Amino acid sequence: MSIYLPIAELSVNMFVLFGMGAAVGFLSGMFGVGGGFLMTPLLIFYNIPPAVAVATEANQIVASSFSGALAHFRKGTVDVKLGTMLLIGGLMGSTLGVYIFSSLRDAGQLDLIISILYVVFLGSIGTLMTIESLNAIRKSKAGDTQPVKRKNHDSWIHALPLKVRFRKSKLYLSVLPILALGMLVGILAAIMGVGGGFIMVPAMIYLLRVPTNVVIGTSLFQIIFVTAYTTVIQSTTNQTVDVVLAFILMVGGVIGAQFGAAAGHKLKGEQLRALLGLLVLAVCARLAFDLVATPSDFFNIVSSLDQGGH
Amino acid sequence: MRFPAILILSVFILIQALSPLRAASLQMGVSVDVVPVGSDFNGADIVIFGSIEGAAQDPLYRGEYSVVIKIEGAPETLVIRQKERIAGIWVNNQSESYDNVPSFYSVVASRPLSEIAPAGTLKMIGLGIDNLGAIPQQFDEPVFKLEPGEFSDALRRIRRENGLFAEDPKALENLSPTLFRATVSLPANVPIGEHNVTSYLFRDGILLATNENSFRIEKVGFERWIYNLAHEQSLIYGLMAVLMAIFTGWFANVIFRKN
Repeated sequence: MSIYLPIAELSVNMFVLFGMGAAVGFLSGMFGVGGGFLMTPLLIFYNIPPAVAVATEANQIVASSFSGALAHFRKGTVDVKLGTMLLIGGLMGSTLGVYIFSSLRDAGQLDLIISILYVVFLGSIGTLMTIESLNAIRKSKAGDTQPVKRKNHDSWIHALPLKVRFRKSKLYLSVLPILALGMLVGILAAIMGVGGGFIMVPAMIYLLRVPTNVVIGTSLFQIIFVTAYTTVIQSTTNQTVDVVLAFILMVGGVIGAQFGAAAGHKLKGEQLRALLGLLVLAVCARLAFDLVATPSDFFNIVSSLDQGGH
Repeated sequence: MRFPAILILSVFILIQALSPLRAASLQMGVSVDVVPVGSDFNGADIVIFGSIEGAAQDPLYRGEYSVVIKIEGAPETLVIRQKERIAGIWVNNQSESYDNVPSFYSVVASRPLSEIAPAGTLKMIGLGIDNLGAIPQQFDEPVFKLEPGEFSDALRRIRRENGLFAEDPKALENLSPTLFRATVSLPANVPIGEHNVTSYLFRDGILLATNENSFRIEKVGFERWIYNLAHEQSLIYGLMAVLMAIFTGWFANVIFRKN
């Protein structure tokens, strides 16, 4: 069944979009990431104009992260204090990111820079996660019952001033690295058109050493606000949020996320991290391939009628 | 920018009008004034019909009359970029800009254009995808034709693949020696806005008459409301989009909690 998208100005198959939403939703529910890093490239691949895909995806992530965060709230696995700190950094970062985004666009080659950013970040994060979690799995299989050391005290991060106690995360940590992380993710989120969970989750685990069970809920909590902010900014500056497209993706996404979350509970933390690492690497490989592979068409057209474009 | 075209055309028609064939003229109508674009829009067909007038009285009638119909959307500026490999990565490198490229261009006839009129005539009146008028921005002097070249060929090819440039030498049907009807398919990605319809009457490769008409493609109902809100009340639209997302997320959570 086809449906006409009023902002994207094209007719699409509703079930294809719904299926894409459900599939990405399943993965995002399982891993606690917004799924934007999967959905945005998928939408562009499905001929949605990049500017619309990026802006609409932010709107969709509001729904999926809100739904996910509610579930984590009930289980008590959200550190609101930590999430709020990350959010303050995130809002500063995304404001800066929107500014960088438009100056990069004015300079041209924004597509290329976005692709390279994706490849660099997905590649390094995916490799780190996969190696770390495979080591952890190997250790537990070898019957090594020695618990993973939490190196709380020998990290430079823990030597920084302005320390605050985060009871839920059982952390006593300086606000500076938290604000900086929030800000970095905010900048990247605005430029790459994603929620930033795929950077936030591993950074919280490996840099801040937040317990894994609190990480996902707290990351989702922060993503709700950053993507809501991005949706409003994109609506007012570019008019590229397509609510019809967003709604179809949302409905598919929240349904998929419920099943994904259930599947996620059946897996151990390190298994989950290994799978997410491999998924991130797969997307990275695909994007890297597109950068170096001979394109099927050497020419592309940009119309003055399609405003913006990323 | 259309001026030279109109001038050439007028002179052309004037010459024709002074010839013994002057009696012939064209009448034309379009089946709709407005093509509505709603949520189920997936392209549309419009019917263009008309008659050749004064043909019967023509004492010199010998050849066959041919009608060609052109549908043209609003002009736009296009940038065509070419990818090149730099340090192993494919990068948009060279580009060319074209002004006044029709956002939609469709030509229908009852047989191939090359059989209807000589190439020179088609080129002069800019009829057919290969004879389409557009102005490359890098030339100071307006160049009337989109001359063959790597970039303009790519433009034509990509637009053809998108369905935005089309030529159908079979879509026009001659119901009688003087009556014709054409069915033109508008693809789902047809641009919104005013579209001009021009019909051309040829005989023995000579342009005898033209006629103009137009129709609009418009968003209606919900789609129109959404589009207008997004552009005129963008802050409210953005906040609404966020509220919709929060409600959807909450609603899904409530439903699935029971299971």
